[in-house]
Amino acid sequence: MEKQFNLSNGPEPAEFRQKLKIVVILVGLALSILLIRLWYLQVIKGDELKHRSESNAVRFRNIQPIRGLVMDRNGTVIVDNRPSFDVLYMPTKGVNPETLLQKIQDIYKTKSVVFSFNAPFPRTVKPYLPVRLEKNVSMEKIALVETNAVDLPGVYVDVTPVRIYLDGEILAPIIGYTGEVSKEELEKSEEDYLSGDITGKHGIEKVFDPYIRGRRGNELVEVNAFGKVIKNLGRIDPLSGSNVVLTIDAKLQKAAWEAFAGLTGAAVVMDPRDGSILAMVSRPSFDPNLFNNGIDRDEWTKLQKNPLNPLSNRAISGQYPPGSTYKMIVAAAALEEGIITPETRIHCGGSFTLGNRTYRCWNKHGHGSVNLHRALVESCDVYFYTVGKMLGVDKIAHYARRFGLGEATGIELAHEKKGLVPSRDWKLARMKEPWQLGETISISIGQGFNLTTPLQLAQAYSALANGGTRWKPHLVQRIELSDGSIVKEYLPEKKGELKLSRQTLAALNRGLWGVVNEPGGTGAAARRPYADVCGKTGTSQVIGLPQNEKARRAQKITAFHKDHALFVCYAPMKKPEIVIAVVAENAGGGGAVAAPIARKILDAYFDGQKKRKTVRVAANTRQTETD
Amino acid sequence: MIFFKYDRRIFQNFDWTLFALVMSICAIGITNIYSTGFSLMDNQSPLYLKQLQWIIFGMFLMVIAFLIDYHAINHAAYAIYAFSLLSLIYVAVFGHTANGAQRWISFGFFLFQPSELMKLSIIVALARYFDDHKSNEPYLLRELFVPFLMVMIPCVLIMKQPDLGTALMIVIVFASMVLFIGMNRKSLAIVAASVLVMLPVAWHFLKDYQKDRLLTFLSPESDPLGTGYHIIQSVIAIGSGGFLGKGFLKGSQTQLKFLPEQQTDFVFSVFAEEWGFVGGLVLVALFMALIIWGLKIALLSKDLLGTMLAFGITALIAWQMTINMGMVLGLLPVVGIPMPFLSYGGSAMVSLLVAIGLLMNVSVRRFLLQR
Repeated sequence: MEKQFNLSNGPEPAEFRQKLKIVVILVGLALSILLIRLWYLQVIKGDELKHRSESNAVRFRNIQPIRGLVMDRNGTVIVDNRPSFDVLYMPTKGVNPETLLQKIQDIYKTKSVVFSFNAPFPRTVKPYLPVRLEKNVSMEKIALVETNAVDLPGVYVDVTPVRIYLDGEILAPIIGYTGEVSKEELEKSEEDYLSGDITGKHGIEKVFDPYIRGRRGNELVEVNAFGKVIKNLGRIDPLSGSNVVLTIDAKLQKAAWEAFAGLTGAAVVMDPRDGSILAMVSRPSFDPNLFNNGIDRDEWTKLQKNPLNPLSNRAISGQYPPGSTYKMIVAAAALEEGIITPETRIHCGGSFTLGNRTYRCWNKHGHGSVNLHRALVESCDVYFYTVGKMLGVDKIAHYARRFGLGEATGIELAHEKKGLVPSRDWKLARMKEPWQLGETISISIGQGFNLTTPLQLAQAYSALANGGTRWKPHLVQRIELSDGSIVKEYLPEKKGELKLSRQTLAALNRGLWGVVNEPGGTGAAARRPYADVCGKTGTSQVIGLPQNEKARRAQKITAFHKDHALFVCYAPMKKPEIVIAVVAENAGGGGAVAAPIARKILDAYFDGQKKRKTVRVAANTRQTETD
Repeated sequence: MIFFKYDRRIFQNFDWTLFALVMSICAIGITNIYSTGFSLMDNQSPLYLKQLQWIIFGMFLMVIAFLIDYHAINHAAYAIYAFSLLSLIYVAVFGHTANGAQRWISFGFFLFQPSELMKLSIIVALARYFDDHKSNEPYLLRELFVPFLMVMIPCVLIMKQPDLGTALMIVIVFASMVLFIGMNRKSLAIVAASVLVMLPVAWHFLKDYQKDRLLTFLSPESDPLGTGYHIIQSVIAIGSGGFLGKGFLKGSQTQLKFLPEQQTDFVFSVFAEEWGFVGGLVLVALFMALIIWGLKIALLSKDLLGTMLAFGITALIAWQMTINMGMVLGLLPVVGIPMPFLSYGGSAMVSLLVAIGLLMNVSVRRFLLQR
């Protein structure tokens, strides 16, 4: 080839020619190596590898981790795991899944067992991912599958851990339940989910899923034509999830649950000293164990269609007018704003007139001349109508917000509601209407637009009980590994200060003590001999304030129209260590229905404490003896 | 500045051999992707059709790259380089993320991967640089500092995506071009020594999964669950093909989806399983012919610019093909370098076809240049 490289400047073409020769040799050499390797794999080892590809021997499978336990504050296990035996099928070459399913059915028939897999076999299966045919099967089925293994290529029994909720429905609204990841979760979640993974669906199980879930393991195994493992090629062990330690006291929770028997509503028991939740009841509830092996469609519709909505946690998402429990806040506002002193007297003649409208006191005979103390004790409506009118809606709203109403408490659970603290601006923005003075009157006894959740009530009264600090309610103490080492600890979190004067706090305390302990007090049902209980009853109307009594009488009082019964209390008065908020839906009066529930919870709490103390004292004496 | 002047000779001397070689390899690629997609049950348009669209689009750009005199392209070399660099920066900031890597710019209906463009731009820019700085003496280290920077800036950006394979490719092509044009022996020794020293440092900067890949290559059975799985399945697929292969659409490893990444990095395994050693031999022979042909174009070019362009492009194809095959045959670590013309991927296909256009450009213009 004639070359006419005639560069005035630059490398010599001859040099290039030389170099290109070397390049060609190098490329030839490299490609020869590749071809030799190809020959080695395809011709020399071809048969062996062909065999390996045909026996389709290598299977990759995921091993589900064991979810962490959930324990109460005393270390009692509330949520555990148990083994579930599942029948799985690994798609195997030369096996028609339809005939295989039929075969299983026939084998089961010999022992008159029913094969529960009746859906058509999924069409798009990955060849190395097994299909779960039956979950949580009986010992009999296991035996049938194992003994007929030869006829059922690819079918095997596998053990997977399954959740067991020891307290069933008692704690279900808090703890939630688990289930297989849904399609949406697979697509949207940032977590590393795979189809078939178990994940928390609700409550603590969901919120703390990243801790509880653990890490999936996997293994690569060589299997024979029947799908039996013949060689383990490698395994990454799954990592068990961390345990969650709750602030809940399981015994107290159970007592509170039982105290609430037969009613609809919620109760929250909180430690006012740090905001930890000792018990949280929401009734009716559901059995989270139903979800363990995939919930039955009928069961699910039953839960969904139930008008009482057992799947919601009323303690955080039930919004109720606070009724007279709100009077504590109105009283605090009036004292702080200097509108009244504890001794200011107001006459209650059984009703209060504003313009041409009359607002009734619950006691139509009137309470006579009452000061703040008596007004709280007897829950006089007229007293608070008067004070509320003087305060105005915005002042009341200001103090209500200081007590944490109208905003989510920030507890660890999802679906918490904010409640509602009405104000002029709110109404204008929301309803495009100016505020009516009459509405202030309703607001001042906790009716009207006011809405609070039971948890908010507990939080508000906790702040009062502890002298003015609003702690964030919390359910989880810490996350720990199975050996007890702490992964994460949750310390009490301050949300705000009431900033009430000492005199105001004292007056409120005395008043609430009187509610329970003085003659004529509406909360007498919660009186206990062993501790000074302070509390406030409330009865919130469900069907707005009727224009007149006749209309009210005419209204059919069905179960759903009955009043909500409320009671919030704390004890002991000197050094409160427990706050209880009870809301019983459509149950009647607060003093008659809600206070007795609180009493039972108080009994359970102080009884349990006494027992613990004696144990501690006994332990101490033993200690001193040995010293 | 004349971009395109009609000249009969351009068509009279069209490089049909090169064209035929590339088209044969592309045809094999499409057939092969058809096979990988065969068992997909998706409602989406099949991959082989998408790839075919990319080839058609790529051929259109190939014709343009062929028609514009490469000397004219050379004037725009740094502009092309700057554009590629900017799009890499854009990716680093706003890029589209998929499979944990941020490599793409989304244009809605397709994803554009600027690192593929960079592979080609860097060759064009380096050819320009060496042409501008001709010297009779082998290059000294300091004379190579500017091209070194030109290479390292995009490399760092690509490493960050992270895309070790492409970054590696750019460095290798640069090294090949430098060795080809000639480097001072002493300088070469210094570079070799410093590379050896830098290796442990570079190791430190690799991501964990990249380290894993390199380590599992040394003993795939040690990690059969991770990268080892890919290698094991790939080797089984290739080996089970035997001498004559299992036949088109009959590769069980492929059809049953045991083989991971089968349309992209492991596409050769699919081919080898279905077409056997005979098929592999034909494909390697085609590539060998393409490489020799490319080197011949480099040699016959009448100026240094053409030589460097042709050599760089040929080196790119040769290295990609060799490393990819070594990878799927279990000879080299899995570093994520696709098989040229065979792996599925629009950006790579288009930039490769443009590269072929340039190669044809250099090839045909030796008949026009009069020195």
